[in-house]
Amino acid sequence: MAKQLAFHFDASACNGCKACQIACKDKNDLPLGINWRRVAQYGGGGWLPHPTRPDLVVANNIYAYSMSVACMHCENPACVQACPTNALTKRADGVVLINQDQCVGCRYCEWACPYGAPQFNEAKGVMTKCTFCEDLLAQGQNPACVDSCPARALAYGELSELRAKYGTENAIEPLPAANLTAPALVITPHRHAQASSKGTGHLLNGEEL
Amino acid sequence: MNVREWALITFTILAQMSVGSFIVLGVVHYFVGKKSGEKQADELSDRALLAIGPVLALGMAASLLHLGNPLNAYKAVTNLGTSWLSREIFFGVLFAVAGAVFAVMQWKKIATFQIRNLVAILAAVIGVALVYSMAMVYMMPTRPGWNLVTTPLAFFTTTLLLGVLAMGAAFVANYWYVQSKNPGCASEQCVLLRDSLRWFAVASIVLLGFQFVLLPLWVALMAGPATASAAMLVGEFGGVFALRLAFVFLGAGVLGIFLFRAASSPGQEKVMGTVAYLAFALVLVGEVLGRFLFYATATHFGLQ
Repeated sequence: MAKQLAFHFDASACNGCKACQIACKDKNDLPLGINWRRVAQYGGGGWLPHPTRPDLVVANNIYAYSMSVACMHCENPACVQACPTNALTKRADGVVLINQDQCVGCRYCEWACPYGAPQFNEAKGVMTKCTFCEDLLAQGQNPACVDSCPARALAYGELSELRAKYGTENAIEPLPAANLTAPALVITPHRHAQASSKGTGHLLNGEEL
Repeated sequence: MNVREWALITFTILAQMSVGSFIVLGVVHYFVGKKSGEKQADELSDRALLAIGPVLALGMAASLLHLGNPLNAYKAVTNLGTSWLSREIFFGVLFAVAGAVFAVMQWKKIATFQIRNLVAILAAVIGVALVYSMAMVYMMPTRPGWNLVTTPLAFFTTTLLLGVLAMGAAFVANYWYVQSKNPGCASEQCVLLRDSLRWFAVASIVLLGFQFVLLPLWVALMAGPATASAAMLVGEFGGVFALRLAFVFLGAGVLGIFLFRAASSPGQEKVMGTVAYLAFALVLVGEVLGRFLFYATATHFGLQ
């Protein structure tokens, strides 16, 4: 059994189509306002006089890229530590799950998480979050988001194996720095990737997250 | 802001007021007991003590409105190992129990004065632990406007300020009650009540000074890690912030001076009463506005 399941996201392959977000919503039957996987778009740059002929040429360095974000099933999950009822637990395979029968609906995990993973269901009065499609995993299938990606930008596996294969990058804008929770995520950066907290751009689709 | 956030404002303000009242009353009881004996001290504080319980109970009831699934509320003390929220609820319940035990012992005069004192000190220490864990709940790196040393300092200042002025109002009510039984109010009780009110006035002015250092410090500390919060506090919510400062300044400062003067001169009972009630009301509104701003200006670090 895996010790720490993790997602791999290839930002250089992602075209921002959001099929992963929709596949997740469909598979998990998520209501309006709740999206366990979301595609954040980040961009920046502008028009600048060209260094060699500033009088003649105005060039642009505008860039944008997408970041598919779900629960990071962190190695040091702030939500699990914050939860007053032990409704949030980290399984032996690293997956962070919420037991809704135990949840008191205080939303404290929502404050604690830097990735917006725990989301509140108003109708039920309890928190919900990405389950890593543990039901599909148990049947030997892949998470819905991974299988839906037309660009094959999403993968999953054991964190140490993903790191050996793709490197250790896990903090690219608009994600926060990784030191808070040690996210189980491996990113293959986009060519315009901006390091967390040092980005020159901004989140472009905040209202739809 | 919605019902859930107002539930948190109500809970934190009332719980802090009850802890502060309990501590202030304990201090007064100790000094009066030393000066004029156990009997006078008990007579002075017993009625005020009974007002604290309902305040705490009301606050804790309000906290349930914050929950999406209150039926599971009893499970919220099961993660004491890592969750400050669990610890907050644990100390809240423990303070309620210890305070109630002490109130019953004091009311029925169970056990000796010394044993009752020990129970009271224990309850006060639990109260301090409650206010500390209330502050620690908000000390999370994902909430940069809260994760500052000013959060615990402000919570303790609110605790004492509301405690002093709530007890001021309670003592004035007690004064009128004693006076109605003993017209002219020449008894030692009346002198002790007036003395206490003078000290409350001094304490509220000192605490106001402390708060007027803390608030600019909060804005200054926020400016780095939570620029948006600081901007909201002086921009979008600038009017509320100004009102918050004005209410506390008028209540604790200006009326504090009037209270000191009125309590110093016998024959000014009516003024003293009105001033003490008004000071409490103004500071309560000011502190509620302050707590509102605490939540309303919060920003999140990372994706939300």
